[in-house]
Amino acid sequence: MIALYNTKTWTLLSYVIALVLIIPLLVMLAGGVSASAQLFLHLWQTVLPSYLENTLLLAFWVLLLALFFGVLSASIITQTNIVCKQQLRWLLLLPLSMPAYLVAYLYTDLFDYAGPVQRSLRVWFDWHSPSDYWFFDIRTLPGAALMLALVLFPYIYMLTRGAFEQQDQNLIRASRLLGLTAKQSFFKVALPLARPAIAVSASLVLMETLADFATVQYFAVNTLTTAVYDTWLGYGDLGAANALASILMLLILFVVLAEQRSRAGLRHQSARPSLKRELIQLSLGQQLLASLFCWSLVFLGFLLPIVLLIIMAVQYSDITQLSALVTTGGNSLKVSIFAATTAVLIALLLGLYQRLHADKYRKIPLQLSGIGYAVPGTVLAMAMLSTLGPLDHWLNGAVEFFGFTAPGLILSGSLFAIVFALVVRFSAIANGTIISGIKQIPQSLDYAPASLGVNLVGSLTKVHLPILTPTILMAWLLVFVEAMKELPAVLLLRPFNFETLSSQIYQLISDEMLEQGALGAILIVLFGLLPVVLLNKNKEKV
Amino acid sequence: MKALLTIEQLSIKLQDKNILSMLDLSLNEGDILGLVGASGCGKTTLLNTIAGFIKPSEGRVIIDDNFLSDGEYCLPAERRQVGMIFQDYALFPHLTVKENIAFGISKRSKAEQLEQIDRLLTLLKLNDYRDSYIHQLSGGQQQRVAIARALAPKPKLLLLDEPFSNIDARLRNELMLEIRQLLKQFKTTAIFVTHNKDEVFTFADKMAVMAQGRLLQLDAPSIICQQPNNYQVADFLQLGSWLPCQVNLTIAQSLIGKVHLKTSDPKQESLLYLLVKPSNLLLKAATDENNQANAQVEYISVTEQGYHYYLNSIDDPANDKSLAFSKLSIYSDIALSLKQKVALSIRPHDYLFFDKPT
Repeated sequence: MIALYNTKTWTLLSYVIALVLIIPLLVMLAGGVSASAQLFLHLWQTVLPSYLENTLLLAFWVLLLALFFGVLSASIITQTNIVCKQQLRWLLLLPLSMPAYLVAYLYTDLFDYAGPVQRSLRVWFDWHSPSDYWFFDIRTLPGAALMLALVLFPYIYMLTRGAFEQQDQNLIRASRLLGLTAKQSFFKVALPLARPAIAVSASLVLMETLADFATVQYFAVNTLTTAVYDTWLGYGDLGAANALASILMLLILFVVLAEQRSRAGLRHQSARPSLKRELIQLSLGQQLLASLFCWSLVFLGFLLPIVLLIIMAVQYSDITQLSALVTTGGNSLKVSIFAATTAVLIALLLGLYQRLHADKYRKIPLQLSGIGYAVPGTVLAMAMLSTLGPLDHWLNGAVEFFGFTAPGLILSGSLFAIVFALVVRFSAIANGTIISGIKQIPQSLDYAPASLGVNLVGSLTKVHLPILTPTILMAWLLVFVEAMKELPAVLLLRPFNFETLSSQIYQLISDEMLEQGALGAILIVLFGLLPVVLLNKNKEKV
Repeated sequence: MKALLTIEQLSIKLQDKNILSMLDLSLNEGDILGLVGASGCGKTTLLNTIAGFIKPSEGRVIIDDNFLSDGEYCLPAERRQVGMIFQDYALFPHLTVKENIAFGISKRSKAEQLEQIDRLLTLLKLNDYRDSYIHQLSGGQQQRVAIARALAPKPKLLLLDEPFSNIDARLRNELMLEIRQLLKQFKTTAIFVTHNKDEVFTFADKMAVMAQGRLLQLDAPSIICQQPNNYQVADFLQLGSWLPCQVNLTIAQSLIGKVHLKTSDPKQESLLYLLVKPSNLLLKAATDENNQANAQVEYISVTEQGYHYYLNSIDDPANDKSLAFSKLSIYSDIALSLKQKVALSIRPHDYLFFDKPT
């Protein structure tokens, strides 16, 4: 590729932005690494082994369940003649819009001792106390794993389905001509070919699991994320919180590296995906089982929770709730709009820098700016506090030195910290979307304006940005929705008396009063549906 | 005539690899130059360097007495007044035909813009499509828009990167003649890159043959065809077949006979290759004492006029192995069969001998 432009300001700006985005993480890691050995020893002798064990066990169970749900449903949808395939194809994506903590609360409410299910059972069978019968306890580690798997499996479903649909059908045909049945061909050719997609989606599920805070907190399962939260808010020990956050981040780094390693050299290009697939014909019994499986996932992962939320909203909503919703919704909107706009502007600046600049290392700023996506919100919040806190103190000192009144915690105690954290966390989404849009622009369109006497600014404003407009809107929307849903970072960084939709719902869940916030919860789910619809639309275009 | 473009000692090094080496080239105003060469020989790099997309490692590019590149100095592409038509046309998909053409002349007054657009639309027969978007046009129409857009700012030099490669073979010739006429009408100097020599014969006034980053020959296409200056030029342009000959002063001995040279070959090489066109060979199917078999048929194809044969030398232990030939191309109306032995001889003509590069 020939790079076109060589402006130093653009280079400087790109590197500075990328550095600003990763500095908090570096400060936190430095804090974690420099934490005293005694502190580590103390943590190791007390809570760390059980936190680690819980974290790893949770990751294992979620991965196992999500793989089972995701790969099996993708296989059924793409490889068999299941009835209502067109509907199930997109319905199976819907659980992605449901925050795990909401599902956890709703199912606990439903299946707890005092919930309607057990109450009805006791009435029907004339049981009087818990000793009269056995009923599964949902507020356990496997219960949390099931809740997370129910809403995270669509990642695996979506990418595996895409991989199956993009496979070169001539490979499948060749295997059939070599004597394999449709089922054998699926297990020996199609499934191994889909391995890279399964690995990517599995790593996404693992990252989301390791980052989850609210579900495990609600189920009182102590993992590293809850430990970071408790250590900071409960004991005010920033050093220990940093150390735990660093361990968690290393664990995620390990997942990312393992995924990349497992995928090395396993990229399969498809030449003829559009050829008609030969489907496995299901018998009546198999049809029933496959339908039951897929519809159960849709029902448990989306339909039942949303219906429960709607019932709550209808039963308990009143005017005071609506006014609270307007305030918290307004706050959420404010934070999300700032974060999405900033992230998209940064992605454009760095993405176009990567595309058009002559700098030999022009990819680095974009790559650096996307690192935050792998960092859980809790860890990111610690990183912000570790960086912005001292910076605030330094600023106040400097202002007082010049004889002015100290402005207070203008960075760590304001919306700035939340927006900054959200930008760090979700820049990768904006980057990915913008870069895929930029890649759609033929290279020759970069050169054409110059050959017609038009300079860089003209080229950007008249060619690149107009062509990228739909991509920019898509990137903005995706970051906006993620920012609306983000909980742990907002919870730890929000200024006093500042609530967003997600933090308010979490508070209500903690106080076992979700009924009061059902409308807000529905709103979050509806926002969550937007990217699902967009993703499905995009996949269908392929 | 005054040279519009002068390139002196141009070298390009990309990632420690020499893409262009010490290249010199000069082009007069109004000339159309066809640049040919195998893939990867540096044709497109040369075009991109003239356009200003690549900074030369050494050398100078001068247009109309203005230095575009010289040492560290490199004028930005947008200030060179060099237009380009890209292989994929690079038309802006979000703009209409009219807006695409106006793109490079937006700084002119509206009236001037309109006048120029209307003129080009008429010239290129695009009047019915002025408000159409690019995806609504056929390949040929898209190419016309690309030409109109490139010509609108009146560039001093127009570069065309394989402009006909995406055009249906039947339309190609017609379009080439049409565009050539247009360029001549505008008195536009142009360089176009292709790897199809036939396109050069139809489109260009001059032809340049490149190989491995070097310019091998630059002249009128007819002269290059008659007088290629080295083995690579003749071989790339497929001007004939190669007959190995042992040259000794004024005599060149081959397996199909000897030829007398007018002067002794100055290169004094013992083994040289004679370029033989099909018309330079004489074929006799019936062999007798006077016409001894010295070749055999290896490949036959039918043509409108008769047959096209590839002939190889006969595998005879008495023959000098270094003189063995293969794939001598010849046309004939005599029907032969595969492996049939024939007598082949060389008709007297202006002999062209070359060293074969190692």
